[in-house]
Amino acid sequence: MKGLNIPATDKSPKVLFDYENYLFEMQGNSRPENVRDFYFPIIYKIRKHFEKIINKNQIEEFNEKSFKFNFKLDYFNSSSAKFISDILVLIKDFTDAGLNFKVYWYFTDGDEDMKEVGEDFSEMISFPFHFIMVER
Amino acid sequence: MKSYDVVINHKGYLSLDAIDNILHQLKTYLSHKQSDKLLKKRVYSLSVECLDNIYKHSDLNEEDHELLIKYPPRFIVEKIADNYLIHTGNIVMNVNMNEIIPRLENLNNLEFAEVNDLYKKSLANAEISDKGGAGLGLIVMSKFTKQKIRYDFEKINDKFSYFAMQLNLKK
Repeated sequence: MKGLNIPATDKSPKVLFDYENYLFEMQGNSRPENVRDFYFPIIYKIRKHFEKIINKNQIEEFNEKSFKFNFKLDYFNSSSAKFISDILVLIKDFTDAGLNFKVYWYFTDGDEDMKEVGEDFSEMISFPFHFIMVER
Repeated sequence: MKSYDVVINHKGYLSLDAIDNILHQLKTYLSHKQSDKLLKKRVYSLSVECLDNIYKHSDLNEEDHELLIKYPPRFIVEKIADNYLIHTGNIVMNVNMNEIIPRLENLNNLEFAEVNDLYKKSLANAEISDKGGAGLGLIVMSKFTKQKIRYDFEKINDKFSYFAMQLNLKK
């Protein structure tokens, strides 16, 4: 698989970045010991991949399908929130550059805070999210 | 009579392992004794932020070991009826107090909607410090508790003070 496939630990989420299947997914908890070491390579990879599509003039071909970002997070600390917001800002920037994305924000039934933070993020980057409630 | 539980009572150096143990204990307590999902998550989230703060912002070197014994880091969680009280304590440098106090005072003077706005603005503009903090922890504490953050400083010497904080999380 081209992209990233980082397994989850107690403190860090599973991160899947699958170029071929048009999917980026984060799932689990995020309070890594070194938040920069965890998120910098992920953010770098996202930026490079989409920059490449734009630089190679492959926008039209890329947009034949929409690339899906799934955020299925149970918990993240405030330092992780900053990096998640950086990922979302990239989504916004590449959307403005012409790429087609969809963002799905999952929250468990009763976890209004997780829904609310998704709404805050969506407002912050002026990009509509699809909200999906899951039963625990 | 109101029910009362001491959920966590930690006094002493906070290593990463100690933090993991505390959070594990807390999770076990919450999964057995706290049915409200939102409250459960908020107690956990606030505890992580508090423990992160104590760990990242303890301004002590090894040569200050004696101070650490005399003024150990503290992290206490109490449950009184349906509410939680979280107490923290740690040594900070006096120069850093001058940064923390105005931030706390500013948060304590904001309405809830203003705290939310500040959170959104800070998310967009935050820089990650060398210690790995985004400067969002205190804002999250104010946002979740919807209460003023109580705090106190006790001057230890010309260089250090002991910083104590209390968060009140109501159902």
